[in-house]
Amino acid sequence: MSLFNTIIPSLHHGTHEGNGDPHPICRPYFEIDETEGAYGVTVYMPGVAKEGLEITAEGGELRITGKRATKLPEGVTALHRESSDAAFELVLTHDNTVNTGKIEAELKDGILRVALAKVESAKPRKIAIT
Amino acid sequence: MRLIHYTNPNALSIAPTAGLGGRFPRGDIEDQVDWLFGTALAGFSGLARGGQFPVDIFEDKENTYVRAELPGVNRDAIGVEIVEGSLSIQASRKEKSGEGESTVSFNRLVSIPDEVQADKVSAAYENGVLTVTLPKKEEAKPKKITVSVN
Repeated sequence: MSLFNTIIPSLHHGTHEGNGDPHPICRPYFEIDETEGAYGVTVYMPGVAKEGLEITAEGGELRITGKRATKLPEGVTALHRESSDAAFELVLTHDNTVNTGKIEAELKDGILRVALAKVESAKPRKIAIT
Repeated sequence: MRLIHYTNPNALSIAPTAGLGGRFPRGDIEDQVDWLFGTALAGFSGLARGGQFPVDIFEDKENTYVRAELPGVNRDAIGVEIVEGSLSIQASRKEKSGEGESTVSFNRLVSIPDEVQADKVSAAYENGVLTVTLPKKEEAKPKKITVSVN
């Protein structure tokens, strides 16, 4: 991974623990799809419960943060780690074609689905020819 | 995709780029490389797309714990087996792609210590994370033996 760290700056930021950062964060895997009336964002956040999830929409920015809730007994020692304890953070920007009053989100089994309704002016319109 | 694009949460400057015609969403070269590679490598920073998935192994005095990140998997589609001293985890996830539906399969074989009580293994799935608890055999637990010296 040290090679990746050098060439790809994003892997510096937060994805690895033990770098002295008290609040490490990592970017979750996500997908965006689009329908006529809305955008759909699917974010993979394993280990995040409803209580640890926060979604804010402000000024053309949608910010999704999720803290992992791990349910392991206290005093366990790690023998092998591949996942990270870092919280997830994803920031998406849009040019205000999203109706922030109509954002719906659903979290199930570590997958968050956010539906962002488009504002009326951004929806495709059919023009009747007379 | 045209209207929503990713902004690095750690990016210090989100100043518009001059001279590049706004082709790159952000300022300095580090961020541009980040932007070019970021999406392609997103899968490396945690979740694998099909095939392997991240696994953690923990232990305490009583148990060994194997934790696997498997978001969006139906409980019925998870199979946990112990085969010849290894823990086999299989899972599949149904994904909607456009109009059709595809199934992504995951499987992983984790070698586990010999001193596990195979018949008392339990598993729990919560928030997309599978935790398998493997109790240790009595003789494998740390024991204090007092030897009397005559």
